Amino acid sequence: MRKSHPIRRVVLATAATVSGVVLLLSLKPASDPAAASAAGAAPQQTAAGQKAPQGGQQGGAQASSGAGTVTGDATQTQYGTVQVRLTVSNGKIAKAEAVQAPKGGLSDQKTALAVPKLNQEAVAAQSAQIDAVSGATYTSNGYKKSLQSALDRMKSAGSAGSSGPGAPGSSGAAQTRTVTGKVAQTQYGPVQVRITVSGGKIAKAEAVQAPKGGLSDQKTALAVPKLNQEAVTAGNANIDAVSGATYTSTGYKQSLQSALDQAGG
Amino acid sequence: MSTTLAGGRAARRQTMRRIRPRRSPAVPLLLAVWAGAAAVLWLWWHNTPSIADDNGRILNAGRITGLLAGYLMALVVLQMARVPALERRVGSDRVARWHAMSGRYTLCLIVAHVFLIMWGYALQAGKSLGDIVQQTIDSINQLPDMGKAAIGTGLFVLIGLTSIGPVRRRMPYDTWYHVHLMTYAAVFLTFWHQITTGNDFAVEPMAKTFWYGLYGTVTALLIWYRIITPIRLNLKHRMRVEAVIEETPGIVSVLIGGRKLHRMGAEAGQFFRWRFLAPGMRFSSHPYSLSAAPRPDMLRITVKAIGDHSARLRELTPGTRVWAEGPYGAMTAQRRSRGKVLLVAGGVGITPMRALFETLPGAAGDITLLYRANSTQDLALWDELAKIADERGARLMYAVNSPDGERPDISAENLQRKIPDIDRHDVFMCGPTGFAQSVYEALRGAGVPARRIHHESFEM
Repeated sequence: MRKSHPIRRVVLATAATVSGVVLLLSLKPASDPAAASAAGAAPQQTAAGQKAPQGGQQGGAQASSGAGTVTGDATQTQYGTVQVRLTVSNGKIAKAEAVQAPKGGLSDQKTALAVPKLNQEAVAAQSAQIDAVSGATYTSNGYKKSLQSALDRMKSAGSAGSSGPGAPGSSGAAQTRTVTGKVAQTQYGPVQVRITVSGGKIAKAEAVQAPKGGLSDQKTALAVPKLNQEAVTAGNANIDAVSGATYTSTGYKQSLQSALDQAGG
Repeated sequence: MSTTLAGGRAARRQTMRRIRPRRSPAVPLLLAVWAGAAAVLWLWWHNTPSIADDNGRILNAGRITGLLAGYLMALVVLQMARVPALERRVGSDRVARWHAMSGRYTLCLIVAHVFLIMWGYALQAGKSLGDIVQQTIDSINQLPDMGKAAIGTGLFVLIGLTSIGPVRRRMPYDTWYHVHLMTYAAVFLTFWHQITTGNDFAVEPMAKTFWYGLYGTVTALLIWYRIITPIRLNLKHRMRVEAVIEETPGIVSVLIGGRKLHRMGAEAGQFFRWRFLAPGMRFSSHPYSLSAAPRPDMLRITVKAIGDHSARLRELTPGTRVWAEGPYGAMTAQRRSRGKVLLVAGGVGITPMRALFETLPGAAGDITLLYRANSTQDLALWDELAKIADERGARLMYAVNSPDGERPDISAENLQRKIPDIDRHDVFMCGPTGFAQSVYEALRGAGVPARRIHHESFEM
C-alpha cells in the first residue's frame, strides 16, 4: 500500500540497467589476454631461414631464430590419446595444437571445448604450467604431459641448433616465408590468417583461427576454404565475402590485410 | 455470547497459541530471481573473452539485454501460471503487480536487444546505424529462426501497447485479455532463435540444457496449474448457480451449489475466478471473493453491478453451470500475527471481510469490523453482520456520508478514539484504491506498523 512512484521506478530501473551493462562491458579487456600474447609471441615472420644462409635479407632478419615444429609424446588418457605439436619461433611457442585428442560421443564436445583453450593457454604461458579446463580434466592432463615432452624436445633442439624431430615444416626455399596476420575479432569468434609468401606472391593462405561452436562450425567449414582460394587468386585482400558468412569473411579480410602489410613491410 | 465472555483471558490465550503468522515467501523468491539473473550474466561473462572496440561493445550490450530478456520472459509467464505458492502465499494481487512490472521491463529489454544487435551487425558489415532496417531484413532472411522471432517480437510490442494504462482502460476487458493470451505464442516464436543463434548457447552446451530446463519447467507448471488443475477441480465439484439474491440496490449475491465444496480448501478472505456458462458470459472469467465461509454444499459470492459482466450476474438462472478456478488470494487468517484484529471494508469490499468476520478465531472483543458505505441503504449484508457480531461478541461499526453528503472523517485521531489499542491490532482491509490509501495513511498515523496492514489491491 506504500505510495507508488511510477516515474521514479522507471528512471531507477533504466539507470540501473544501463549502468550495469556499461560496467560489465567496461570490465572486459580490450583484447583476449591469451590471444593477444599469442599474436605478440608469434613473430610475424616465421621463416625457417637459419638453415639457408643464402636466404638473403628476408632470412637474415630471422637468422638468430630457431623456427620449426616440435611434436610431443602421445599421452594416453582414459578417453583417448592426446598429442601436442608446437610451432616454435625465436625460441618461443608461436602456436600450439593438438594433433590427437579424444574423439567420439561426449568427448567430441569436450575436445572442441577444451583444446582451443589449452592451445591458447600454452602459448600464453610458454610452459606446461597451464590450468586444466574444467569438465575436461583428463584431456587437460594428457595435454600438459604431451606439452611438457614437446617443450623438453624444443629446449634440447634449441641448444643443438636444429629444429628437433618431427620438424619437416621448415621450408628451405629462400624466397618463401610465412606471415601471420593480426587476430580479427568477429561476433562469432576470432579470425586469424596465415599466408605463405613465395616470390612476392601469396602461395598459400590458411586460417589458423576461425569461429567455432554450433552454427559457426558449419559456416567456417563452408567459408574458410573459399576465402583461402580467393586470397591466393587475388593476391591481395580485395576478395569477395562468402555469402552467409559475412562476419567471418570480414574478419578474414582484416587479418589477411594485416598479414599482407607485414609481408610487404 | 455469555459463553464466549466467560472464556475471557483463558480463551484469548488459547487463540493466541494457534496464531502463527506464515511469512510470505516473497523475499526468498526474489533472491532466487536475482541469483538466476546473476547466473545469466555470468554465462555471458564466461563466454566473452574480450571486447575489441565500440562495435563489440554494442553487440555485447545487445547480447546481455537479450539473455536477460530471455530469462525474465520465462519468469513473467511463470507469474501467471497460478502456482499456489504465488497465488495463496505471496498474494494474487502482488504477483499480478510483479507481472505487470517485469513484463514492461522485459519488453524494454527486448526492444533494446533488437536495436543493439542489429546496429552492431550493421557496423560489423561495414554499414552504419542508418542501415539498421536493411540489416534487420537481411538478418531475418539469413539467420535461422529469425523470421519466427520477428513475428514474436511484433506480438510482444502489440501486447505491450494494449497494456498501457489509457489504452487498456478504453478497451473491453475481453479484447485485452485475448490479445494478452498471444503472449504464449510470442514466447514460443522467440524461443528458438535464442537457442540457434545465441552465441552463449552455441558455445556452452550446459547453458542450452539449463535454458530448456527453465522453459520446460514453466511450460509444465502452466499446463498443470492452468489447465489440468481447473479441469480436475470442476469435474469433481460440479458447481451450479443455486440462487441469485439482491442484497441492496446494485449489489447481488450468487449462491453456488456443488459437491464436497469444503474439499476445495478455500478459506475466508480468498476468491475464485468464475466463469458462468450462460450466453455471453462463457468466454470470460472474473475474480470474485467469497462473501461467506465455504460450506460443504454451498459457496456465496457478493458482487456490485459495475461492469458488463457483473451487471449480467443478476440475470443468471438457477441451474447455470459454473466453471471456477481457485482458490486464490493470501488475505486469510494465516496473515494474522496478533490476537486483536480490525477489519476495514469499503463498499462491496465487505465481501471477504464478511467471511473473515465470521471465521477469524478470537475471543469476545478481539474482532472489530469498520464498514464504510455511502449511505445506510448501501450497507450490504448488514443484517448478517449484526447477527455475527451479536453471536461472537465482536464489534461492528459503520461510517456513512451525512445526509448532506459530507464524507465521514476516518483519521488517525478518530480511529484512536474509537479503538484505543489500535496499534496492537492486525488490520485487514478491502475497498476501492482511494479509500484504501487514505485509511492506510490514517492507520499508519495511529501507530499500526505497515507489516500488520494486510491489503489486497488489483490496481496496477
